[in-house]
Amino acid sequence: MTAIQSGVGGRTELESFSYDDAIVRKFFWATLIWGIVAFLVGVILAFQLAFPQFNLIPEVAFGRLRPLHTNAAIFAFAGNAIFTAVYYSTQRLCKARMWSDKLSKLHFWGWQLIIVSAAITLPLGITQGKEYAELEWPIDLAIAVVWLGFFGTNFMMTLIKRRERHMYVALWFYIASLVAVTILHVFNNVWIPIGVVEFIKTGEITSASNLMKSYPVYAGVQDAFMQWWYGHNAVAFFLTTPFLGLMYYFLPKAANRPVFSYKLSIIHFWSLVFIYIWAGPHHLHYTALPQWASTLGMVFSLMLWMPSWGGMINGLLTLRGAWHKVAADPVLKFFVVGVTFYGMSTFEGPLLSVKTVNALSHYTDWTIAHVHSGTLGWNSFMTFGMLYWLAPRLFQAKSLYSMKLASMHFWMGTIGILLYVISIYTAGITQGLMWRAFDESGSLMYPSFIETVTKLMPFYWIRAVGGTLFLVSTCIGGYNLVMTWRNRPAKYEVPVHQAPALSKHYDDGPPPASRLTANAGVGHAGDRFLQGHWHRRWERLPVRFTVWVVIAVSVASVFEIIPTFLIKSNVTTISTVQPYTPLEVAGRDIYIAEGCYNCHSQMIRPIYAETQRYGDYTKPGETVYDRPFQWGSRRIGPDLGREGVTNPNAAWHYGHFIDPPGTVGGSIMPSYKHLAQKDLNYAEIQARVMGLAMLGTPYGEAVKSAEELARAQAAEIAEQIRTGNTGVEIVEPLEDKQIIALIAYMQRLGTDLYAVPEAEGEEVAEGGDQ
Amino acid sequence: MPHDPKVLDHEYDGIQEFDNPTPGWWHFLFYLFIVFGFFYTVMAFMGSPYLPDPERKHEKAKLAATMKKFEELGTLEATPVVFVEKMQDEEWMNYAASVFAGNCVLCHGAEGGGQVGPNLTDEFGKNVKTIDDIYTVIQDGAAAGAMPAWGQRLHPNDVILLTSYVASLRGTSPMVGIAPEGEQMEPWPDAPPPAKPEADGGEAGDG
Repeated sequence: MTAIQSGVGGRTELESFSYDDAIVRKFFWATLIWGIVAFLVGVILAFQLAFPQFNLIPEVAFGRLRPLHTNAAIFAFAGNAIFTAVYYSTQRLCKARMWSDKLSKLHFWGWQLIIVSAAITLPLGITQGKEYAELEWPIDLAIAVVWLGFFGTNFMMTLIKRRERHMYVALWFYIASLVAVTILHVFNNVWIPIGVVEFIKTGEITSASNLMKSYPVYAGVQDAFMQWWYGHNAVAFFLTTPFLGLMYYFLPKAANRPVFSYKLSIIHFWSLVFIYIWAGPHHLHYTALPQWASTLGMVFSLMLWMPSWGGMINGLLTLRGAWHKVAADPVLKFFVVGVTFYGMSTFEGPLLSVKTVNALSHYTDWTIAHVHSGTLGWNSFMTFGMLYWLAPRLFQAKSLYSMKLASMHFWMGTIGILLYVISIYTAGITQGLMWRAFDESGSLMYPSFIETVTKLMPFYWIRAVGGTLFLVSTCIGGYNLVMTWRNRPAKYEVPVHQAPALSKHYDDGPPPASRLTANAGVGHAGDRFLQGHWHRRWERLPVRFTVWVVIAVSVASVFEIIPTFLIKSNVTTISTVQPYTPLEVAGRDIYIAEGCYNCHSQMIRPIYAETQRYGDYTKPGETVYDRPFQWGSRRIGPDLGREGVTNPNAAWHYGHFIDPPGTVGGSIMPSYKHLAQKDLNYAEIQARVMGLAMLGTPYGEAVKSAEELARAQAAEIAEQIRTGNTGVEIVEPLEDKQIIALIAYMQRLGTDLYAVPEAEGEEVAEGGDQ
Repeated sequence: MPHDPKVLDHEYDGIQEFDNPTPGWWHFLFYLFIVFGFFYTVMAFMGSPYLPDPERKHEKAKLAATMKKFEELGTLEATPVVFVEKMQDEEWMNYAASVFAGNCVLCHGAEGGGQVGPNLTDEFGKNVKTIDDIYTVIQDGAAAGAMPAWGQRLHPNDVILLTSYVASLRGTSPMVGIAPEGEQMEPWPDAPPPAKPEADGGEAGDG
């Protein structure tokens, strides 16, 4: 009745194998190093907000540096942590070495190369301008190859060639992560590369920046939807499911206790995987996204609360009977606090998804605090727990170098997180309430935006202190791990294990009898289903299991994405909305490159306090030519959705870009005087307009003379600036400078709604002549 | 472990699993939100008046705020008499100061001393000669769009009160001020006798 008996022809023989721990050690160090880098960049950003003079050079000003921080934290630090966990535990859970050492190495070096290229391109302003999907198209392709081609193949083949019949729950979570991240990455990054288009059409490429530049095929509302479908589920399948897998392996190992409930594992895994995907639109409440999508986003987020907590319960209750160990063992300390933060964040997530709560929280620091309680509390602490548990084992040292230092790391890190999140929660709620406060006369209590910024400064100082503590604590941890590594033997032992290969045939045993006595057939079938025998069977069929995971994540995607694209009424056409002029396109690309979207939204919600402050709320039809959309997610500075209506003064913008605090007292915006010094490459605009036209932007005849049109409009704006009071020195020749294009874009923002309908094509054709 | 529930008869790299049932409260909350989600979604798709409709709510709030602000004022008429009269009305000038702070200070400075936009406190006007011109410039914009047309964005009463407020800035001495531009402005008309304002307000309301 066992596997061995039903084997065919010599299958019962024991096979010898060893685990590849060398690759785990590589990922181990990469995790630590990138962790320190990501936290360091975060601390720099915290100081830049508290003290704007830290925006030293344009390459590392806040707007360009913030994407580097998020990408480093997510894909470099958490990414390598995931791979450490996967490569260590998968081999042991499968009783098999990774399928291919070569693929393991390609995966490792490929991934580090992607990180390095991100660290180079982002400060250079090479970006797609979509949060956590900033990396430009060549890197996108590399990610797809390394993630699916190297890692995916290696991982799936290891599952197929395993010697353990059933897959443990940690592996289910790894499978879900692999599948979902692939789908998200591929579908959010559908673009046309401008340089390639140019090369095909003209046989040459104007500039390196054209070569690296791409425009998404999605525009406006659809692009926003795709982006937050991606953004939300990157949190789900990059920062949640792999870390749950990590928890399911390392926590019971460290506590030496059985997992609390196998049944809970099953139900919370499938509900989590199925429900998570639907929740994306909660990032776009009250925006121009159609209401139905927003509603689905909210209700599924609420449903997601319990599936998320299933993981927390299984983690914390596994420690039942081992709490005395927690006091003594830093590994378990990190895990307990990590899982607790997971519980808090996954309660807070659904709370923030409630529309009424979101009306207050959206665009404020509340979201930032929420994210950091998740990433610092959950992701980092689970990672540190794992690294401390792994270190003596991977380096074959007797024990950790110092328990005392590990404990110090833990306490310092915890205090750092608390200082960070408490101050930033306070900042977020304070600012949210100030934005919506009205006085007795019915006017905004704080009509000038800057008042709501300067108010936050004390909180920003506390945050910078908290972040610094967290960084220092990580360095102490790093020292401890390095010292543990120094106690390694001259040569690592490679233990040889033995296990029989899996036989082809396996008898799952008879399905259980129904436990019910007085029911009809359906009742019995239901009871048999609830006993989960079928799931036990799936657990030994990795390919089938994977297919079901694909189905689970695709259902929601299909149900939400297809209507978003097909229902015409979602985005009503506004006849006066015209494509951006060539100069505005260039300006928009500068806006994206400088990372302006990291601090400014362009999406005024239909909330009275907002329309009072910024102007009429943004209509879906206004963003149809936005590739990519730039709605933003945080208002460190004011919304710019109607900037062209309320503040079209070119001279003001010129002075403000060069000296923000000189123009608006107390402003924390960095100076963009480099834009007033660098020349705009007019030659590259043609290809960009051509690319947009190819994607369906109706440029008509204008597409042929992009450069001339741009120059004409620039001359006009330059004249406006010369005749105005900028308050700063003007760098000539003004019309050649990048700043002119950005000002052209500023002047255009939100104006189309009020434009007088013109004869077709005139707007574009005459763009510069008016 | 005698007190523990049944341990399942499988292990993975030494990890075992208990056969514990899922907690009852977990099930309760899970199903509760599924049921809630179902009803909420159905109501939302049927256009229930009980659920938030942002645009409707926005219109209501706008109306309520306008009522609150301008109920006692009615609809003002854009005439020099009204401009001058409102200049004397401290309460409404405080209100207008907040409109000014929200929309005008970026270009004209916190105290109207000018920055990118002209100084509003001196005796000279770029596009302004009479008090009526202030209204026209605010309402329709000026300098080829460098000064936006606020009539598009503000309530008509706001524009009128703002006109009075800007007119009242003349002759004040701001901390920071730029050099005068344009030509000498005419003096503002005299204020009407102080007894009449209420009656005027009423007439304006009827008009």
